[in-house]
Amino acid sequence: MHEFDLHDLSDDADYADSMQQGSASMTRSGNSNRNSSSEQVGAEIVYLKDNVAIHPTQHAWERIRGRLKLIKQGGSLLMTWIPYEGQSSSARLSEKDKSLYTIRAVPFSDIRSIRRHTPTLGWQYAIVVLSSGLAFPPLYFYNGGLKEFLATIKQHVFLVRSAEDANIFLVNDLQDPLQRTLSSLELPRAISVANSPTSSIAPSESSFSWTDGETVDKNSAFIQQNGRQRQKHNDPRHLSIQVLEKFSLVTRFARETKSQFLREAHGDGFISNAMRKHDKKPNNSFVVESNDVHKPLEDVHVPADSSEESSCEKHSKNEEAAMRDENLEYDYDKLSLVWGKPRQPPLGSKEWSTFLDSEGKVKDSQALRKRIFYGGVEKGLRKEVWRFLLGYHSYDSTYAEREYLASIRKSEYETIKNQWKSITKEQAKRFTKFRERKALIEKDVVRTDRSIPFYDGDDNSNVKCLRDILLTYSFYNFDLGYCQGMSDLLSPILYVMEDESQSFWCFVALMERLGPNFNRDQNGVHSQLFALSKLVELLDNPLHNYFQQKDCLNYFFCFRWVLIQFKREFDFEKTMRLWEVLWTHYLSEHLHLYVCVAILRRHRSKIIGEEMDFDTLLKFINELSGHINLDATLRDAEALCICAGENGEACIPPGTPPSLPFEITSMYNQQDDDDIL
Amino acid sequence: MPSRRRTLLKVIILGDSGVGKTSLMNQYVNKKFSNQYKATIGADFLTKEVQFEDRLFTLQIWDTAGQERFQSLGVAFYRGADCCVLVYDVNSMKSFENLNNWREEFLIQASPSDPENFPFVVLGNKVDVDGGNSRVVSEKKARAWCASKGNIPYFETSAKEGTNVEEAFQCIAKNALKSGEEEEIYLPDTIDVAASSQQRTGGCEC
Repeated sequence: MHEFDLHDLSDDADYADSMQQGSASMTRSGNSNRNSSSEQVGAEIVYLKDNVAIHPTQHAWERIRGRLKLIKQGGSLLMTWIPYEGQSSSARLSEKDKSLYTIRAVPFSDIRSIRRHTPTLGWQYAIVVLSSGLAFPPLYFYNGGLKEFLATIKQHVFLVRSAEDANIFLVNDLQDPLQRTLSSLELPRAISVANSPTSSIAPSESSFSWTDGETVDKNSAFIQQNGRQRQKHNDPRHLSIQVLEKFSLVTRFARETKSQFLREAHGDGFISNAMRKHDKKPNNSFVVESNDVHKPLEDVHVPADSSEESSCEKHSKNEEAAMRDENLEYDYDKLSLVWGKPRQPPLGSKEWSTFLDSEGKVKDSQALRKRIFYGGVEKGLRKEVWRFLLGYHSYDSTYAEREYLASIRKSEYETIKNQWKSITKEQAKRFTKFRERKALIEKDVVRTDRSIPFYDGDDNSNVKCLRDILLTYSFYNFDLGYCQGMSDLLSPILYVMEDESQSFWCFVALMERLGPNFNRDQNGVHSQLFALSKLVELLDNPLHNYFQQKDCLNYFFCFRWVLIQFKREFDFEKTMRLWEVLWTHYLSEHLHLYVCVAILRRHRSKIIGEEMDFDTLLKFINELSGHINLDATLRDAEALCICAGENGEACIPPGTPPSLPFEITSMYNQQDDDDIL
Repeated sequence: MPSRRRTLLKVIILGDSGVGKTSLMNQYVNKKFSNQYKATIGADFLTKEVQFEDRLFTLQIWDTAGQERFQSLGVAFYRGADCCVLVYDVNSMKSFENLNNWREEFLIQASPSDPENFPFVVLGNKVDVDGGNSRVVSEKKARAWCASKGNIPYFETSAKEGTNVEEAFQCIAKNALKSGEEEEIYLPDTIDVAASSQQRTGGCEC
């Protein structure tokens, strides 16, 4: 693969441990290795590791190897990383490039946290984040030694593991580390401001976010009241933390554009405060020595880990190696997503054909899902593409296989449909459950999307078709039966498919994921609302605190959003666009929860400002229907999802819909629910 | 305690799916009827100012999903209710038979301080359908059930035509108000204690 294959082996944990024994004795050998002008007299090297590299790009030949050292000087611990001179593999890098990455005697009082990465395959690496928010590029430990690096630091500096993430080590952190980690995710608010300069909430949000502490507006008054004054002060820096961390991770990109970015940022006054902020050193720095470290009034945040390489999607272990090499590219990708990428035009037929090979297989389903995630699908193409998105067709099926499947499925559908079609009147008289189910479905289909021409008018055959499919489904999945909301989910599918049996099977596929929403005990919805509350806690702590204070943490006001995937919140066309984006499961299977957070955040100043209680909030949320900007919301949700990263996914319990259930057999409550009343 | 007046009265409408809960609420508040209401998902409410003996009240009318599967949400929506409206469709025996279940479910989930005397009002809706020819629940039968449950006031309504809707809700408001006042009598004199012990979500007492 590349020249460092051997080092991959050395990254094996046992090997690394054994290496550490060796290097430990070496590292305490004094200061004889001093080779940098930045090291001063009287310093003691307490840790030294060779072959610690920085990867400015994904290209192996552009990797820069160097020497990592921890130096004790007076009461301070300093870290240096100096690239080797005249290294052949980095011939393409100028000395200037190298010096850009050189870490010269950074005191640990300036370091906020260290994030440890120990992938099963590939090198261990660490990301060192400064209290200013800047992060150094990942340091790859080709010869192991990461564990020892941390152990050595611990001997000299107060180092604690983040409660939120066992791989984050907080430097000089005395307050509740969990809160620190959570509050580090304040960025998205700033994002949403940046995202919606014209929105009505922007002015108050911005004064909230950008104030240096002198102005007290309504929001900050609330925050102070809750003893969280620090939030206000730190908002600008959150932005810098996030943005700069991302920039520094994508070092090459950063090198080229950082200065331009900062110029631009200064231009609109957005970052400038943030930058000034961490020029004010006293606010962010610590007295390093010992345990009587005193915290500045204003706290310092653990930068979010959002920019880690695999944080946005769950990758199987054997993908990790591949991911490693794509890290930087991936980060680059995400970088431009910090504000949510601009939406693209929907996927059209011509482009669609480029995703298929000669047999009709989708060549790169990931690329396809990504494309749809950012732009959706053109109307006429939905019929074809939705079948893949919903899982009715597999991506690697051929034209012929799909055609065959369709014919099989058609007859299967007819068989199931006949099960209820053949029930005679006499039989139905003695079949209460069937009658009731049918009556319930019939009541609902006549009030489902009747304003859409496709479903309007008396004796509309499409309405009948809705009924037939739902009744057939209630026989296909007798345990789950029919529940209100299902007709809302089916209606756009039938509209798109224009075919009864295909619609049925697509609906079946959708219900594999969303079925638990309709369980009698509502556990599917409750687990999503629970995850939502955790996500808001993570991504918008002030709003979370507000909901807590108002006893609104059950999030029932989002029930309708979750149950039918925002079907009632957008018009028919927009709903279909949203759904196809959600169904890509591109960034997360649970993007819809980030959509919830995005909408709530957009309105948070109103919610908090008007001191909405549960009732008012429910009303407010219900009345947002038809007034939500889909594209802006999707961009916000995307940014939130990326910022939350692994921490976000950790908020969502395994098996939360629309994740596929682990065991289909125990999926539905077997209780004879329709007879309970 | 005449000085303590309640300004918000919370009313919950319950009943089987499709009996006309949303329609009744809209007919009363907006004087409108639509054939295009969608099945209610979750819950929603409308408010209406009502005057009663020179005092102004806000009637907060909660419309809930009719499918019993959604009842786990009841706890959040029912609490603090001052009156519960049970609706059935006079053309559906099942919806009438279910009234008892709705009533019991409400009492369990809302757990009012005095369940024996908690005010319910029963509405037999859709009396207009088919000129009354498809009717399967007689007024007599309905009234008998209401009498057996502690003389629950009963109205026959048509949300579509507006028949009896205003009258029914006047009665509902009156009962809600009475319930609130009676509740207050049981409570100690201290306003703070009363307010917190009732755990109102939307209510306030001035």
